[in-house]
Amino acid sequence: MLVNKKKLAAMVDSASSQTPIEGRSQWQDAMVRFKQNKAALVSVFVLFAMITIAFIGPLLSQWDYETIDWALTGNAAEMGAPSIANGHFFGTDDLGRDLYARVLQGTQISLMVGIIGTVVAVLVGVLYGAVSGYFGGRIDNVMMRFVDILMSIPYMFILIILFVMFGRSVYILFIGLGLFSWMDMARIVRGQTLSLKHKEFIEAAVASGVSDFTIIVRHIVPNLLGIVVVYTSLMIPNLILLESFISFLGLGIQEPLTSWGALISDGAKTIQYGTLWQLAFPLGFFITGLFCFFFIGDGLRDAFDPKDR
Amino acid sequence: MTDIIKPMFEVNNLKISFATNDGIVEAVKGVSFHINPGECVGIVGESGSGKSQTFMAAMGLLAKNGHADGSIIFQGHNLLELSVEQLNHVRGKNMSMIFQDPLTSLTPHMTILAQMREVIALHMDLNQADTDRVCREWIDRVRIAEGARRLNQYPHELSGGMRQRVMIAMSMLCSPSLLIADEPTTALDVTVQAEILDLMDELKRENGTAIALITHDMGVMARMCDRLHVMRYGEYVEEGTAEDVFYNPQHQYTKMLLDSMPRIDNPDRTSHHKLKPIDDSQTGDDFLVVDDLKVHFKIKVGGGIWPKTLPLKAVDGVSFKLREGETLGIVGESGCGKSTLARAVLQLIPPTDGVVTWIGKPLSGLKKEELKDKRKDLQIVFQDPLASLDPRMTIASSIMEPLLTFAAHMSKTDMKERVMKMMDRVGLNRNMINRYPHELSGGQNQRVGIARAMIMQPKLVICDEAVSALDVSVQAQIIELLIDLQAEFKLSILFISHDLAVVREISHRIMVLYLGRVVEMANSRDIYDNPIHPYTKQLISAVPVPDPKIERARKSIKIPGELPSPMDPNAQFKFLPSKRDQVAQGYQPKLIEHSPGHFVAEHDPLETLLA
Amino acid sequence: MFSFIIRRTFSSIPTILILILISFALMRLAPGSPFSSDRGLPPEVLANLEAKYGLNLPWFEQLYTYLKGIIFSFDFGPSFKYKDRSVNDILAQGFPVTLTYGLWSFFIAVAVGIPLGIAAAVRHNTKLDYLAVGFSIGAQVLPNFVMAPILVIIFTLWLNWLPGGGWNGGEWQYVIMPVIALSTSYMASIARITRSSMLEVLSANFIRTAKAKGLANSSIILNHALKPALLPVISYLGPAFVSMITGSVIIDIYFSTGGMGQFFVDAALNRDYSLLMGVTIVFGVMTILFNTIVDIAYAWLDPKIRL
Repeated sequence: MLVNKKKLAAMVDSASSQTPIEGRSQWQDAMVRFKQNKAALVSVFVLFAMITIAFIGPLLSQWDYETIDWALTGNAAEMGAPSIANGHFFGTDDLGRDLYARVLQGTQISLMVGIIGTVVAVLVGVLYGAVSGYFGGRIDNVMMRFVDILMSIPYMFILIILFVMFGRSVYILFIGLGLFSWMDMARIVRGQTLSLKHKEFIEAAVASGVSDFTIIVRHIVPNLLGIVVVYTSLMIPNLILLESFISFLGLGIQEPLTSWGALISDGAKTIQYGTLWQLAFPLGFFITGLFCFFFIGDGLRDAFDPKDR
Repeated sequence: MTDIIKPMFEVNNLKISFATNDGIVEAVKGVSFHINPGECVGIVGESGSGKSQTFMAAMGLLAKNGHADGSIIFQGHNLLELSVEQLNHVRGKNMSMIFQDPLTSLTPHMTILAQMREVIALHMDLNQADTDRVCREWIDRVRIAEGARRLNQYPHELSGGMRQRVMIAMSMLCSPSLLIADEPTTALDVTVQAEILDLMDELKRENGTAIALITHDMGVMARMCDRLHVMRYGEYVEEGTAEDVFYNPQHQYTKMLLDSMPRIDNPDRTSHHKLKPIDDSQTGDDFLVVDDLKVHFKIKVGGGIWPKTLPLKAVDGVSFKLREGETLGIVGESGCGKSTLARAVLQLIPPTDGVVTWIGKPLSGLKKEELKDKRKDLQIVFQDPLASLDPRMTIASSIMEPLLTFAAHMSKTDMKERVMKMMDRVGLNRNMINRYPHELSGGQNQRVGIARAMIMQPKLVICDEAVSALDVSVQAQIIELLIDLQAEFKLSILFISHDLAVVREISHRIMVLYLGRVVEMANSRDIYDNPIHPYTKQLISAVPVPDPKIERARKSIKIPGELPSPMDPNAQFKFLPSKRDQVAQGYQPKLIEHSPGHFVAEHDPLETLLA
Repeated sequence: MFSFIIRRTFSSIPTILILILISFALMRLAPGSPFSSDRGLPPEVLANLEAKYGLNLPWFEQLYTYLKGIIFSFDFGPSFKYKDRSVNDILAQGFPVTLTYGLWSFFIAVAVGIPLGIAAAVRHNTKLDYLAVGFSIGAQVLPNFVMAPILVIIFTLWLNWLPGGGWNGGEWQYVIMPVIALSTSYMASIARITRSSMLEVLSANFIRTAKAKGLANSSIILNHALKPALLPVISYLGPAFVSMITGSVIIDIYFSTGGMGQFFVDAALNRDYSLLMGVTIVFGVMTILFNTIVDIAYAWLDPKIRL
């Protein structure tokens, strides 16, 4: 139970009444708050480092992600352990492929799935939600009922069926995941639009003769941006999770390409042979990456909506 | 004499501070006072003065980041030193509290009875039957009709006034010696406020309960309090008996508060800007004509397998005319349709029926583009200053927005110059041009809203509760600003408010709305000096006057029965019960010209209604 | 309340129909016949096969037969791949397994998550709170497919306490790891949501009223705060159930429990469309029914909806 913010502000205000000329927008305020959040800030750096390594790291290795080191094949459990000497920094997988190269390749794919899928989901979700919220009434009813229906069926199964039937290309994976993840975003954006629509500043704009289109562009979209940014940042790790899930089942990404989920699946299948590194390295990347995304997302949420905690 | 009485509640050098992100904020800076048994002590102050925090500390309800120093002695114990368990034997039993917001102060998923039973189970030793009997007695005592049925309802099924009465009944169950009331009537309509205040006064007299009343309203103070303290920035700037403070204020701030308070009994205070009289010979008659305007909404009612819809007649046949340079005040309680009327006049809500004519041309049924041209001359100022500005735009961009629509040919520098001039005009410092709404105070934001409305120099401005959310001192400034702007630009104003005293200050003519229909319309002076309709009389008698002698001598008129729901077809007949049997034929009370320019809706005499 | 239940139950029927239509449409849109991957089948054999499964009929007749089968006799038709088994047989074998550990997981996630969240909120900013928050943040990155191998490493390979897979008629040793793997991340989410909604409710005005009455903390929490604080948790349970059902596929695969998930993945790899549809529809109907129950529970907690 915190004391009413407004009241405190009034108390502070009445205590000191200087007026600096430069105003500070809500975005600037949010960024200041975000920078005060240590976990989020560290996550930004770690994530940046991870992206750099994922794309530049493969150049440092003599092995690529699909070449089999025949010297080790069939004997990965004993000779495939991580070693600087033979150039397999993270060891090799069961087939003798270099795990370092594979993990970095998987990181690329997983990050891309997360980001491209999110872009698709955000585009669809924001558009759908904004249309539904702004027009309201019967259109809104029908559109939201449809979302309710989609959300109450286990769409993952349908997604998997789709993959199986239409071939498992990476692009279908990217777009398919996005197309099955926009409902939450649509709901949030719709709710926000609906409440914005009834705000008095929108009425004031209508009363000043501003056209519908300008109102959407000038008032509604900028005010949606904060919440969209926050939920976008929280959606990326969830899409990575989804992709990993499908790939873990062996229904997602196709060999020789790989992703975090597929690598974890491979590593998990062989743990009883003592090749712990095959699980540990992908898992380490996976957990670090997800943590970073979650911390950044939480940090953004706290920054944009400070009353939450 | 009074010296012999031992105070029951004593506060000594109380300091309260809050640890915030911006450092420690001192909300209360060392106050001392006492309350004697059976008296009503008032704490008055504007928002942010720290007036509630003292009692929050006494009740152990300070926010977690708050800290209190000093002592609060109640019945021999220092409340600040009691543990929560010990405090639980005191609060709710010997000392209880009611809050400002009755809508959210009751637990939503428990019935009224369940919430009342809890108190008795906790503090008294009664069996089930006695418990229920006591609850029932108190529900009747606070005059809630159909008590037995109400007790088994959930809070959301009760109106705001009823919920506040439930709160009072609940806090009186154990006959406490001190009742703390924190802005108990601020969220309520005036007529309901009058009833609640009378009820509290009665409890004080009959049960000997002492009352600590916290409010911003000097009128309420004048009606209720024996002694009062004026608080500002966490300190008492003045204290004394009601007579002393009202008739012989010492501190500048008290004088200012009393002076800012609009007075329903005396609108022509010398310190205020005068409303410019209307020159009948010069002004035409058909500036704005509203004829039989209706706005009906479809409302889903009840559950069942197939829910039904019923029409809610928010505005049901309102007609009036407005001349150039004139202010028409529109008053009514919540739900009377005054805001809907404003929006329908501006075509922000499409009217269901009726015609709005603006300088000879109908506004209704225009195409978007044609309407846009008219909007240049028709502006609106809203109630909530913060919500009416886009939080992501600087105040200059907000003020400039109409220019972008209507004067797109102007250069950016010209626009900026014009914005600056308007900012000067409404009393905003030019150096605030780049600031954002959340950085300004409510009064400043309302000035921004007025600047935006005025920048195209419109001919009509509708003020929808434009000063209701502001502190009295700020309120007075904004009203003066509006009066000045009107004189300067020959502006017509529709001034909508629930506050009759404020409306009186600014309006030439006044229209009283009741559930979507006009009940009385006349010159400002006629309405207040010679109200005819019982509802108008009731409204006027309910507004407290900041003068203890006058206020206590006045008798408020109470017409029995709750405010009916606007969906009830009988609603309009609350003041015309003699013709209630004609509802079925679609009969509606007619508006009759009582004397020239003074219109009154058909009604039964007040005496019959009170009987 | 009664009429609300009736209304809500009826409104789930179109959802079920849409689900059936979507899966049916997907099967029809699939390129090629389910048998075309069996290379080397002579065309007349293929035609015979298709005729046997009614695939040569116009689509609306197929849909009609299929719907009729489901609605009147709960019959999903024959499997395309397991030549002598019907989809019903296979479902009857896998469903009880999934249901057993699924219900346990759900129950444990709720029974641990909610009290944990409440405790964290009530003891806000204490060690217990930090522990709960730490757990719920940590468990976000421990979805079932991460939990499963980690559990196996610990309990099977290192400690040798539990079998690494199998079902064995649902003996308890075989159930523990699937349940923990499936429930952990949901437990964490439930705890997180409960905590934040409880914190919010505890700052509401009516809690202040309850304190002013002199009520003890425990009765404030139980009688006044709990019901409204559970509302967001209840609405999370719907999506959580959907995603748990999805997660069961991982459990079935990784622990070889023989549940529905295993058949689903086999069917997906083998293009056994009738089995795919059967599994999807059964899971779908379960989630829709569950969502209905959730909505009714919500209405029961919130008197404003009940009307």
